[in-house]
Amino acid sequence: MAEMPYAAAVNRALAEELAHDERVVLLGEDVRAGMFGTTSGLVQRFGEDRVINTPIWENGIAGMALGLAITGLRPIAEVMFADFMYLAMDQIANQIASWTYMTGGQTSVPLVIRTAGGAGFAIGYNHSQVTESAFVGPPGLKVVAPSNAADAYGLLKTAVRDDDPVLVFEHKFLYFVPQEVPDEEFLVPLGKANVLRPGDDVTIVAIGSMVGKALEAAETLAAEGISAEVIDPRTLVPLDQETIFGSVARTGRLVTVEEGRKRGSVGSEIAAEVAEKVFGSLKAPVVRVAAPDIPVPPGPLAESMYVPSAERIVETVRGLVA
Amino acid sequence: MSTDGRGETLPILPIDPQTLLALHRKMVTTREAERIWADMLEKREFYLMGHFGTGQEAVGVGLGHALEATDYLFPTHRGIAEYVGKGMSQDDIWAEYFTKPAGPARGKGGLHLSQYEVGLVGLVGSLGADYAISAGAALSAKLRQSGQVTVIGFGEGTSSQADLGSTMNVAALWKLPLVFAMTNNSWCELSPAEEHVCTPLVAPRADGYGIPWSVVDGNDVAAVYSAAKTVVERVRSGAGPYFLEFMSYRMGPHWSGDDGSYMCEDDLCAWRERDPIALCEQRLVEQGVASAADLAGVREAAVAEVTAAIARAGSLPDLTYDDMLAGVYTGAPAGAAREVS
Ligand SMILES: Cc1ncc(C[n+]2csc(CCOP(=O)(O)OP(=O)(O)O)c2C)c(N)n1
Ligand SMILES: [Mg+2]
Repeated sequence: MAEMPYAAAVNRALAEELAHDERVVLLGEDVRAGMFGTTSGLVQRFGEDRVINTPIWENGIAGMALGLAITGLRPIAEVMFADFMYLAMDQIANQIASWTYMTGGQTSVPLVIRTAGGAGFAIGYNHSQVTESAFVGPPGLKVVAPSNAADAYGLLKTAVRDDDPVLVFEHKFLYFVPQEVPDEEFLVPLGKANVLRPGDDVTIVAIGSMVGKALEAAETLAAEGISAEVIDPRTLVPLDQETIFGSVARTGRLVTVEEGRKRGSVGSEIAAEVAEKVFGSLKAPVVRVAAPDIPVPPGPLAESMYVPSAERIVETVRGLVA
Repeated sequence: MSTDGRGETLPILPIDPQTLLALHRKMVTTREAERIWADMLEKREFYLMGHFGTGQEAVGVGLGHALEATDYLFPTHRGIAEYVGKGMSQDDIWAEYFTKPAGPARGKGGLHLSQYEVGLVGLVGSLGADYAISAGAALSAKLRQSGQVTVIGFGEGTSSQADLGSTMNVAALWKLPLVFAMTNNSWCELSPAEEHVCTPLVAPRADGYGIPWSVVDGNDVAAVYSAAKTVVERVRSGAGPYFLEFMSYRMGPHWSGDDGSYMCEDDLCAWRERDPIALCEQRLVEQGVASAADLAGVREAAVAEVTAAIARAGSLPDLTYDDMLAGVYTGAPAGAAREVS
C-alpha cells in the first residue's frame, strides 16, 4: 500500500478510467496542465481529443458535458473551484438533473462534474467555499464528497462508470495530504457510508474535510471516557440513511459536522431525516457543527475561526453527553 | 472566414416538386395542429398553453426537413414546426402533450418534446440553456467523427443570453459542426425586438467570431430549405460553424393566454401578404405541381391526421402515481422516489 496525496489518487483514477473506456473524455479550464495536479500528465498519455482545455465558461463546461453525455460519450468535467459551481447552476439544477426524467429515459446522463472546495488558503469569498449543500436538493443528481485519498480514488471511478450525473466535491486542502491508497484497483460504491470509528455514546456524521477533525475529536473524547462513533457518509445523495439511523438508534445522540455554513446545510437535511424517522431514540437534541452564516472571511486568523475545529466538536459532544 | 459585415448570399438550389410538396404538407400540418390546439384551449378542453408559431412555419419545417434523422436539432419553444420538419409524428407529439406513458418520453416531456430516434434530443425551458448543450453535442459528433451536424434554434430575444457569445467562441475555436439558426420574428414575448436587441440584425455579430453568416427570407420555405442544405453540408464537411438569421414574423400573440393587443394591425396585414404557406401554394400552382383542389386536399388530410392523433392520444392510458415517480435516475423505479417523499 502506497502513500499518495489525494490529488495523485484523483489523477490515478482519471488515468485508469480514460484507459478503461474510450468514451470517457475530460474537459475543463486548464485540465491539460492541471491546476492542482489532479489532471496533469493525462493529455500526454491520452491526447488532446480526450483531455480538452475549455475557455473560461463554467455554465458551458457543465452544459457541454450534458451535450456530450446525451450523444454517446462519458464526460468528466472539471469546475476549478466549488464556488464557481454556482455559475453552472442552470445547467446542473435545471438541465442535467432533469434530462433523464424529461426524456423518459430515452437517454441517460453519464457525466461527472468534479470540483475543488474548501478553505485552507485564507483567500476568502469566491475561492474558499464548500458548496455541496446547494446541490443535494435537485432530484436527479448524485453527490459525493470524498474525505480521503482512497475514497477520492474509488468514488470517482464509480462515479465515472455510473449512468447518472454525479457531482464530486473534492477538497483542495486535502489534495496535498499524503494518505494510504491500496495498490490494486478498487471501486467504492455510491450510497454506502463508512463507519470509521465505532462508539456508543454519540454519533458524529462528518463530511469531507471535517472527517479528519471528527476522528481527532473522537480521540480526545475517548480519553475522557466518551465513546463517539464517527461516520463518513461519503455519498450525500443518495444518503446511506440505514447506517446513520442504525447508529443514532444505538447512541441516541447525533452531531453533524461540515465545513459549509449552517443554514440549509447538509447537516440540516440529515437532522431533519433523523428527527422524522428515529426521533424516539434521541436522548438529546441533534446539533449541527458548521461554519457561521457569513461570507468566507479572508486571512488566516478569521479563516481559523470560521472553519469548525476539532475542539468545537469536542465541546459540542461534551455538552450533549454531560 | 470573415464576411466583412455584409454576410453571405447563399445560392438558391433548385428544388424538386416532391420536396416542395413535402415541405408544404409539413407546414400545413403544423399550422392546422396549432390551430386545433388553440381551439381546444379556447373551449377549455386542453390544459397545455401554446406558444404558437403562426407565420413562422417555413423556418422550422425547412430546417428540420433539410437534416438527416441522425443530425441533432435543438428546437425553439415556438410551435411545432421543427418537430414536424424533423419527422416526429402527430401521434408521438400528442401522446407527449397529453403526458401519456405511450409517448416517446413516456409522457414526461409534455411541452419539452424529445424523440431520440429522429435526432430531437430535448427542449429546455430556460431559454439559452441549450446553446452550451448544443456545443457539447457538436463536440461529441466531432470527437466521434460521426459526421453528424447539430443545429441550435433560438429567437432574436434569446440572443441576449450571454451563452450565445460563449458558444460562438467555442464553436469557432474548435471548428464545431454547429449551425446557429436564429429566427428573427420581431417579437420577444410582449415587447418588440427593438427593445431587446441593439441592432436590427444579430447575425453580423458572427463576424466577430470569424463565423460566416447569412440572412435568409424565413417566409420562403424553399429559401430556408436551400440555405439549410447548403450550410449543413458545408458544416458537415468540416468547415466549422455557420450562423443563419431567418427573417420572419410572429403573426399572433406570444402565447395562448395573451390577446396580442400590443401588436400593430398594419404590420400584421403586411406580413399576412407574405404568409409562408400562401407563398408556397402560389409557387406550387404556378409551377403546375398542384391544383387548388390538391392543396385543399392537403389541408383536409392534415386536419384529419391531427384530429385522429389527438383523439388517439386522449384515449391512451394515463400515467399512474408510480409512473410519475419513476425515472429520475436511469432505470429507477418509483420506489426510490417514494422512499424520499
Ligand atoms: C431563462 C428564461 N427567461 C425568460 C423566459 C420567458 N420567455 C419565454 S419565451 C420568451 C421570449 C423569447 O423571445 P425570442 O427568443 O425572440 O423567441 P420568440 O418567443 O420570439 O419565438 C421569454 C422571455 C424563459 N422561458 N427562460
Ligand atoms: Mg422573437
